[in-house]
Amino acid sequence: MTGVHTAEVDPPWEGLAGAELFAACLRAAREGNKQGMNRLVSELTPLVWNVARGQGLDTHAAEDVVQTVWLALFSHLDQVREPKALAGWLVTTARHESQRVHGRKAPPVPLTDEMAETVPSTLPAPEAEVLRTERDRRIWSAFAQLPQRCQELLRMTVLAGRAEYRVVAEALRMPRGSIGPNRGRCLKTMRELLDIEGGSA
Amino acid sequence: MREHGAPEGGAQSDDESLLADLGRVIATFDPPPPGLVERVQFALELENLDVEVARWERAGLAGVRSAVDQGTITFTVSDLTVMINLTKTGRCHRIDGWLVPAGRYEVEVRVAEHGSSATTADEGGRFVLDDVPRGTTQIVVSMPDALGRRTVVTPAVVL
Repeated sequence: MTGVHTAEVDPPWEGLAGAELFAACLRAAREGNKQGMNRLVSELTPLVWNVARGQGLDTHAAEDVVQTVWLALFSHLDQVREPKALAGWLVTTARHESQRVHGRKAPPVPLTDEMAETVPSTLPAPEAEVLRTERDRRIWSAFAQLPQRCQELLRMTVLAGRAEYRVVAEALRMPRGSIGPNRGRCLKTMRELLDIEGGSA
Repeated sequence: MREHGAPEGGAQSDDESLLADLGRVIATFDPPPPGLVERVQFALELENLDVEVARWERAGLAGVRSAVDQGTITFTVSDLTVMINLTKTGRCHRIDGWLVPAGRYEVEVRVAEHGSSATTADEGGRFVLDDVPRGTTQIVVSMPDALGRRTVVTPAVVL
């Protein structure tokens, strides 16, 4: 089979964004369009990466998870019954695979104050980074001190987008209505940490 | 990307702006590793994507990959184990491999921008590939099974 493609014609996902874009790329990929596949990989790898990192994996393990998830998707493109649900499928699969790699099961418990225990951080030390503004460094530092569950939720919120509440809720197995309050609590904690970090300066 | 949107007032807009900052900060401090998208795309260039993905098996501590220049790397998937030993030979390396369970299976080693080399494992499951270029590498093992043919691939790794 030759991979014929007509460069003159705009790809069917031209001008689309978000879930619509992913759905169009996925449909194209199902028809053997490698460009559609590559576009999905470049668009959504940051999301899959953040799910794995949010589960506390080190960078090497997270990279393996990213590759495994993509190969799993393209080996079984028909698994994603509803193309618009692709982001959710990726999050759920990446989460499952991360937990498998981690050799432990993260229980689907809601965020509570008792969960504010310190999880050994696998995040790169902020000191290792150069040329960051002081504020960014403080935000990163506060984020790294959050309970893992908060870090995971916030990573997904910023990566999957606010529009995809449903994706986050289903992937984290949280009731949809509890995402907002939980997120608010995580942000409140983060603001307190930022205040401590920033001192009265 | 939106900057500072119109103030909606109260905690909600504070949350929005903190989330916007956080999105930027996460992307800055913990981005996917350089080349990861390309490695995934390379792994997906396989002719037949009906594959099982073997997982990198870490012996002991995490982060063994940094010592990938030499020594043994193990990948596993369900009942199959693929072990490879790398020996540097100038700009290339020799790959000594071992499949468990053993069998005369076809083994292909794909290297980005260098095509691929193929061989067949012996009855003991051993195979050798000389002068394999270094670079982004993926190993593909094909074996017959009850349903015809089964293909196992490793993630694309920089060897």
